Amino acid sequence: MNGPLIVQSDKTLLLEVDHERADDCRRAIAPFAELERAPEHIHTYRVTPLGLWNARAAGHDAEQVVDALVEYSRYPVPHALLVDIAETMDRYGRLTLSKHPAHGLVLTTTDRPVLEEILRSKRVAPLVGNRIDPDTVAVHPSERGQIKQTLLKLGWPAEDLAGYVDGEAHAIELVEDGWALRPYQKQAVENFWHGGSGVVVLPCGAGKTLVGAGSMAQAKSTTLILVTNTVSARQWKHELVKRTSLTEDEIGEYSGTKKEIRPVTIATYQVLTTRRKGVYPHLELFDSRDWGLILYDEVHLLPAPVFKFTADLQARRRLGLTATLVREDGRESDVFSLIGPKRFDAPWKEIEAQGYIAPADCVEVRVNLTDSERLAYATAETEEKYRFCATTATKRKVTEAIVRRFAGQQILVIGQYIDQLDELGEHLNAPVIKGETSNAQREKLFDAFREGEISVLVVSKVANFSIDLPEATVAIQVSGTFGSRQEEAQRLGRVLRPKADGHQAHFYSVVARDTIDQDFAAHRQRFLAEQGYAYRIMDADELLAEG
Amino acid sequence: MSSDEKPAVPRSLAEALRARDDGSLAALLRARPDLITPVPTDLTQLATRAGTRASVVRALERLDRFALQTAEALAVAGEPAPYEELLSLLAGDDGDPAVVGALPRALATLREQALVWGADDRLRLVRTARELLAPTPQYPSPTGLGPTVQEATAGMSPGRIQEIVTAAGLPSTHDSVSAVTALTGLFGDRGRMAALLAEAPPESREVLSRLVWGPPYGQVTAEPAAHVRWLLDRGLLLPTAPGTVVLPREVALHLRAGRAHRATEPLPPAVEAAGTHRPQVVDGTAAGQAYTALATVEELLKDWDEGGPTVLRAGGLSVRDLKRTAVALDVSEPIAAFWVELAYAAGLLASDGEADERYAATPAYDEWLEQPAPQRWARLAQAWLTATRTAGLVGGRDAKDRTLSALGPGLDRSAAPEVRHRVLTLLAGLPEGASPSADSVLARLRWERPLRGPQREDDLRGRLARWTLTEAELLGVTGRGALSAHGRALLGAAAAVPQAAVPTAAEEPSGPGDKLPVHHVPTVVEPLSPTEQAVATAAAGRLLAPLLPEPLDHVLLQADLTAVAPGPLKRPLADMLDVLADVESKGGATVYRFTPGSVRRALDSGRAASDLHAFLAEHSRTPVPQPLAYLIDDVARRHGHLRVGSASAYVRCDDDALLNEIMADKRAAGLRLRRLAPTVLATQADPATLLDGLRAMGFAPAAESAEGDVLITRALAHRTPPRTAPEPVPDGPPVPDATLLTAAIRAIRAGDLASTTPRKPTATPADGGALPRTSSAETLATMQAAVLTGEALWIGYVNAEGSASQRVIAPIRVEGGFVTAYDHTADEVRTYPLHRVTGVAELAEE
Repeated sequence: MNGPLIVQSDKTLLLEVDHERADDCRRAIAPFAELERAPEHIHTYRVTPLGLWNARAAGHDAEQVVDALVEYSRYPVPHALLVDIAETMDRYGRLTLSKHPAHGLVLTTTDRPVLEEILRSKRVAPLVGNRIDPDTVAVHPSERGQIKQTLLKLGWPAEDLAGYVDGEAHAIELVEDGWALRPYQKQAVENFWHGGSGVVVLPCGAGKTLVGAGSMAQAKSTTLILVTNTVSARQWKHELVKRTSLTEDEIGEYSGTKKEIRPVTIATYQVLTTRRKGVYPHLELFDSRDWGLILYDEVHLLPAPVFKFTADLQARRRLGLTATLVREDGRESDVFSLIGPKRFDAPWKEIEAQGYIAPADCVEVRVNLTDSERLAYATAETEEKYRFCATTATKRKVTEAIVRRFAGQQILVIGQYIDQLDELGEHLNAPVIKGETSNAQREKLFDAFREGEISVLVVSKVANFSIDLPEATVAIQVSGTFGSRQEEAQRLGRVLRPKADGHQAHFYSVVARDTIDQDFAAHRQRFLAEQGYAYRIMDADELLAEG
Repeated sequence: MSSDEKPAVPRSLAEALRARDDGSLAALLRARPDLITPVPTDLTQLATRAGTRASVVRALERLDRFALQTAEALAVAGEPAPYEELLSLLAGDDGDPAVVGALPRALATLREQALVWGADDRLRLVRTARELLAPTPQYPSPTGLGPTVQEATAGMSPGRIQEIVTAAGLPSTHDSVSAVTALTGLFGDRGRMAALLAEAPPESREVLSRLVWGPPYGQVTAEPAAHVRWLLDRGLLLPTAPGTVVLPREVALHLRAGRAHRATEPLPPAVEAAGTHRPQVVDGTAAGQAYTALATVEELLKDWDEGGPTVLRAGGLSVRDLKRTAVALDVSEPIAAFWVELAYAAGLLASDGEADERYAATPAYDEWLEQPAPQRWARLAQAWLTATRTAGLVGGRDAKDRTLSALGPGLDRSAAPEVRHRVLTLLAGLPEGASPSADSVLARLRWERPLRGPQREDDLRGRLARWTLTEAELLGVTGRGALSAHGRALLGAAAAVPQAAVPTAAEEPSGPGDKLPVHHVPTVVEPLSPTEQAVATAAAGRLLAPLLPEPLDHVLLQADLTAVAPGPLKRPLADMLDVLADVESKGGATVYRFTPGSVRRALDSGRAASDLHAFLAEHSRTPVPQPLAYLIDDVARRHGHLRVGSASAYVRCDDDALLNEIMADKRAAGLRLRRLAPTVLATQADPATLLDGLRAMGFAPAAESAEGDVLITRALAHRTPPRTAPEPVPDGPPVPDATLLTAAIRAIRAGDLASTTPRKPTATPADGGALPRTSSAETLATMQAAVLTGEALWIGYVNAEGSASQRVIAPIRVEGGFVTAYDHTADEVRTYPLHRVTGVAELAEE
């Protein structure tokens, strides 16, 4: 009884990482438990019904789960919890979705009362067709995603044996000249392919694009790639041309400016969700070709209309890529049920330890408001408070001091408010990229930054995602979208691409003390803190004195 | 009874008892303790008492299934019955060897309990038992047998009997008695019966087969069909009432191949193993759960520390409070009820008895907290084993359809301790590490103490047994369903050794469904005496001690502002962390989260930031993360920056010097002034006192309103809020109007008529004035006669205060020492206790 695992009554599992058997234990529990937090000493996993069912789907049974818990647990595992696990896992597979030669998609059961129960549910009724026999009911093929999602919510997950359509074949090969897929990338591709569809979670800068490319090479079929914006679309195209056998002509861009549909098409979420006269004219892109694979970049940003449409695409393979599967709207479970379960997840610190992302020093700098600012803050309207404290003039001084300290390195200054950014750009004598900056201008500036012609770049939230700036080593965040955890992680991600000289990245978050800016900052940092990024907290005075 | 008994053979139960030795009498009295309360004067009285209905019912209810079946068989056998007859009734014609083996024991039990007496050749069931068990049309016997031919033909005309005898192919005889005997003989003769039935039409056999296992009664039409007529003609069915026929007992027995019961259960059903675990796993799991039990009880009472839930007026905990507690403990409501009841049974919580009654921890709880974990567990286990309160009933309804609430009345079930002990003993009978299937335990318990009448799934003992299995697991007496070593020790030394009586180790069960070859002979381990139980519990606690996790003195601090205690913490450390951080997750370990709020709570409780730093540094295995240290400093920086206090009056003055002067003045001491700021003094005295005080010192203060204006004395007179003028109060009631008057008079007239008319009889009492006096027997007889005739009586009655009165009553009912009667004097139906009636006299005829 000296295992590395402690089983809590709320079904969280605490894993002591310094324990000698920690690695074995991690492997044993990974199939069914989800890593929730990974700070320095104790990692927290959670056992959820969804996780247990995914384990069942992957061929694990309750006995293996129970054995893993009992084997590694430091204290006796409560019997009730084991019973609960067995019962939960037993619910999987009572219902199966499969193809019927005569009736198309059907839902069959091995346990008739379960079928009766779910058919009585108001939410299931509109999704199913005729009762074929006492154990079978027809399902309209377009409701495949919807019914799976509904059954999951009812606690009777259906095993989907209906398979995938292969889609239109298209030769895609990885061209590994002088580089190779990293082990974890290979693992991610393998897990995804084995599972059929799903989400791969990798830290920013850990090469998610290559996981996408690897999966395309595996699928060897026409692919639709959905990305966040045009710059990112161009980067995808660039990367695919560089890493795979695909040529420029085979890759189409479907955005606000271009509407190309080619064997591999890269579309932006924005163009898909453009609405004219109450309809989404571009959603037919999904049907314009017989796609064999649909790739969702930054899946945590998937907009609601795309969710809806994704539900109808259950017969196609879907891969979601993200660094931070936290949505402040709490729709993580929709991602899981519509795109697929999490197939691969690597703790950030683990990838860092392997040297694939740069180590980062995270610092929260607390600035004091001046007395007059404090008074103004106290009287500000509630909705104006954050803007007020986040754009305090003191932040400018601190930002300048940090820029001075890292003179010569590539520095990004990231913020939310355009006035603030313009002012900073002026003082730092640096160009500003914001929403109104044209795409051409953006790319020009990014290129100049990559080449080292510009060392300081001030960016708004347009650069939150998917902007590949490998040489950025310092990021200074002056304001953000309130308490968004994934934004914080994404911004840190801007500086995590491994550096040529292997040196450390710096991430500064400048926060106004004793204001809601500080509260939001605490919330924003939670995701990273749980990934083991320890923020140092500094007083602005201290920093200014040093600088 | 036959009269030619040999002297050695007892002729009555009393004689049979007299012939028994002391040990055997002691066994009787131990099995039926109701016989010695009070102690009978002699054996005759003992025998009489043993034959009373209440006592016999009690004894029958405590028999195991086979002993009861034996008694039932005796009830349908002849009187007296030889052993062979009994055996054939139970074992059937083919002689079930298990029954042959088990019968002597069952008979010995019945004899020991004085339900059966007489030698083997003439066994007699005590008459009351026979009456209880023998079949009657109203209460069919559990055997499903009908009356004998003799009983069924009792009222039949000799002619009809003759016809039957002839039809059955027997030589005719004019004597009805010998005819019946011949018929009985035929039915009892397997060979001749088989021959007779072979001739029966198939439909007739079908009718018989429907009646054979009871109920033996059937309905026939006035003109029965041919196949029924065939049976009626031959006496295979006998009429009992018009339209009803019965299958005579002898015929049924023939068809049943001699068996009185469809299924004889000579052997107790084995307790089946649902699974077997390593004993270490069982003990470990149980110990873990035992620790959880302690933590849960502690958490419960901590939750109630600052004023627990209020006590319902009818006693107990409201459903809402129970729900809240369940949520707080993160368990289901029935389990929350269990913990609450357990803490109550262990004397750790009780009602505080204040006017606004609440539940709270008792002083014993504080003592309990100080004890080491094994002792704490032992106390809970002891309380659980011996409590008659049953938490499982909570949420159900009592006989009056009131909800049973936790800690409320009506939860006591006297059978609970015995069932708990019995279930644990059964578990102890299994090999180490084997967990039983609940159904087999229940089946076994039902065999040991069958219900008379139809078997139900939800009988109290069955439910108690199920609860016991659940609760034992919760308390850590069992682990993974199997009895742990310390759980075994709870049963005392007798059961402390794992069952060694298993014939061979090879027969040990290893998987679900395996039958355990143990306990063919129920060795009933008696529940322990309180002292023995205390010793056993303490021993169990000692066994448990090494298995409980050792409390730790350190935590792991992490940069995401959490702390993980990888096991139970030592008390002072746990207490401090509870204040300094919020608990996020519980179980084997505890996860704490530091928040500004939690740190402020610690500062509020009087700790300084440096104390907190020192505390964390001392108890952390790892360096204190910088964000955490910063958090504490940051909260401490702002803590106490603003100060809040109360004052009832203040003095303010722009001139510091004047305030200095006041502060320096000795006369101001009584005003208890305190300087808040250079220009402000505050005091607890009220403004008027302060004004007077300052004036007495020669100052000229002005009063200030809440808005800071100077108050001008008497500027406003004091006024009440809006009020209405008082209503005039006239002397006496208002004058009634005509309608009211008419109605009132009608009512008075009606009442008068009602009271005077029946009062007439009182005008003629038997003799003038004095209370009638009669003996109580006479009173009773007269009353009963009056009930029948419906006459009114004149009675003397002494009420509860001792005052005597005469009443004229018309008795309606006399029962249980009370007479219910229409009282002409009071003009209503009343109930009088007979013992208060001094006497009774019939009314003189008018």
